Amino acid sequence: MTATDSDRESELHAAGLDGQNRTALGRLLGTGGIGYAEEGSDGVMRATVRIPEDQLVWEPSILVFPHGGEIELTLINDDKNTHCAVLPNNGDPKIIWMVNHSKGTARLNLGGPGTYYYGSTTGNDEGRGLTAALVFGGEVPDSAKLDRPPQPRP
Amino acid sequence: MTDYVDAGEAVPHKTLSAVKGQAPQVSNVDYERIQNAASEPHNWITYYGTYDAQRHSRLDQINKDTVKRLSPAWVFQAGSTGLHSGSSTYSFEASPLVVDGVMFVSGPEGKVWAIDGKTGEELWRYKHASPYDVSLCCGNVNRGVAVGHGKVYMYTLNAHLIALDAETGDLVWDVTNGDVRAGESGSVAPLIVKDKVIVGSAGGEFGVRGHLDAFDAQTGERQWRCYTVPKPGEPGSETWPDDGEAWQRGGANCWITPSYDPELELLFQGTGNPAPDFDGGVREGDNLYTDSTVAIDVNTGEIRWHYQFTPHDLWDYDSTMENLLFDAPDGRKLLAHADKNGYFFVLDRTNGELVRVFPFVDRITWGDISPDGKVTPKVYPDEEGVPVHFWPGPAGGKEWTHMAYSPNTGLIYVPVQEVGATATRRRREFKESIPYWGAGVAVDLDDHYGFVAAIDPLTGEEKWRWRNEYPMCASTLTTAGGLVFQGTPTGEFVALDEQTGEKLWSFQCGSGHHSSPMSYSIDGRQYIAVPTGWGGWVEGFLPGLLGAAAGDALFVFALPEN
Repeated sequence: MTATDSDRESELHAAGLDGQNRTALGRLLGTGGIGYAEEGSDGVMRATVRIPEDQLVWEPSILVFPHGGEIELTLINDDKNTHCAVLPNNGDPKIIWMVNHSKGTARLNLGGPGTYYYGSTTGNDEGRGLTAALVFGGEVPDSAKLDRPPQPRP
Repeated sequence: MTDYVDAGEAVPHKTLSAVKGQAPQVSNVDYERIQNAASEPHNWITYYGTYDAQRHSRLDQINKDTVKRLSPAWVFQAGSTGLHSGSSTYSFEASPLVVDGVMFVSGPEGKVWAIDGKTGEELWRYKHASPYDVSLCCGNVNRGVAVGHGKVYMYTLNAHLIALDAETGDLVWDVTNGDVRAGESGSVAPLIVKDKVIVGSAGGEFGVRGHLDAFDAQTGERQWRCYTVPKPGEPGSETWPDDGEAWQRGGANCWITPSYDPELELLFQGTGNPAPDFDGGVREGDNLYTDSTVAIDVNTGEIRWHYQFTPHDLWDYDSTMENLLFDAPDGRKLLAHADKNGYFFVLDRTNGELVRVFPFVDRITWGDISPDGKVTPKVYPDEEGVPVHFWPGPAGGKEWTHMAYSPNTGLIYVPVQEVGATATRRRREFKESIPYWGAGVAVDLDDHYGFVAAIDPLTGEEKWRWRNEYPMCASTLTTAGGLVFQGTPTGEFVALDEQTGEKLWSFQCGSGHHSSPMSYSIDGRQYIAVPTGWGGWVEGFLPGLLGAAAGDALFVFALPEN
């Protein structure tokens, strides 16, 4: 898994949008880093997400997967408070309770392409910054595509 | 630093609820049984109650005399967690099904439940995860499930057809049937016919090419696909520009469940608007099979006949709404269709021949249709940047919400919307997944009203109307108790006398109605079920209530047990 850096990070910092109790009360959603899952030989796509101390953010807050399928997240709470995660999953969302300094896993099945959000559904963790994205690339199977020539995209 | 505390593995959310995870085994629903659904009025085993889409219950315990004592028996709350697509436009639009006391119903956000029909207890749940960013023209909605072959079938927002085990809610199979990158989605209630599950496309506002599909109910293998816009060289292709690409984005989606005649083995599918909705200059011609009823051979997927209600549509007048099947006193097999364009059509369902057409709304300015079916457009957006006002607006004199038939009166009870709109043509290029309307559209915020019309389909006469301050945006239900049930946009659920239209009972559900009520019975007690929750394409059918309270509760009513 890798993270990306950009001028945007500096802009968000200068505007006081990338932390707790700076310009606003919480951290603006989607201002964390970007990470990429790695696909194992077993076809499972894996990534690790952490909650850094006092930041109330999932880091990276945007995880990119090459396509839909089975994923396995390692979730680490490095914060000195208790949080949780409710994550999208076909069949039923999954929940994991994460006390201070804890580590767990979530195995999920999600279709792609498209974006899903998850968050810590305790208090207003979600509003303070603990809302993050799982982004799936790829295309639908050929059998699901329309019988027509390729069309322009934005 | 010490080792991390082991937080374990994430578990399904429902394990932290009272949901049982198991429904009692119900008797098998198959093709034979659905054909005879009217003979088991304690159940409601298919979307419209019966294949003919009459939406009539033969139960009569709740009737003109007893309805005044009708009270809530239980309420089920859908609820939601976290961010989901269309989070401001969700609506509880479904028609529940009931088999042997177990209710199967879908809600917004990919949810399906099995519920004890007597107590409201949640037996199992399944939630299909759909992306937050899926293209949805008209909200986060689902109109219902199909039950049969031991399974529950749902078509999801991201255009997957899924089959669940009816006893446990566990996934049996999941087939991707639409291209979300092209703007396709799914909202229709599937229909079981023979060994097939039938579903249709949604995405007409994004320039997709409409289709209806049949899948093997056991395996999920596609058996046929019927495109409702022909390719060059196919019958109907002459109604599209010769040298253009318009057919590739032509629309004609099939987002409402077809009715079905087992003798003719024909599905009667309504099709959606052409794309772009309001800019006809890029798609000269009649644009078949948009805005039509198409009769499709259920065995092969071939179109046997069609009838187009609004050729070369310039007003967004989908004809997806139901085709209600009934027989004339002389035995002629007929089909009734109340179109968005404000006209009520009666066709011979064996061949598509027009039997009768007449207006069922008060205000029609877009054009007119003569008694012999000749369509004359009068007011339409054809000049770039020039606003044009017309009635009915793009949600139509009646939208997808369904009418119902009473075999007792021979009348059809139609939920009517009187809302106009202004469209200003604004040509734009086509790009996949981007809305492709070809106009700016503003639906009237005032000067609107609605009514339930009791219409004789054999004469065109309106026998009575029950007028309401706001348009009617929910399906009607008739019962053998002589009642017509109707939900209003302001939350009232009312029972009307089918003979006179007199209001006999009402209950305030707390949020507007945009769904399809149904009836069933358990142990001799009759229930009326209605999902509530104002939402969906409110900006299209009643923007004057865009600020009304949302909701997602299923109300079930019955007479007091004592």
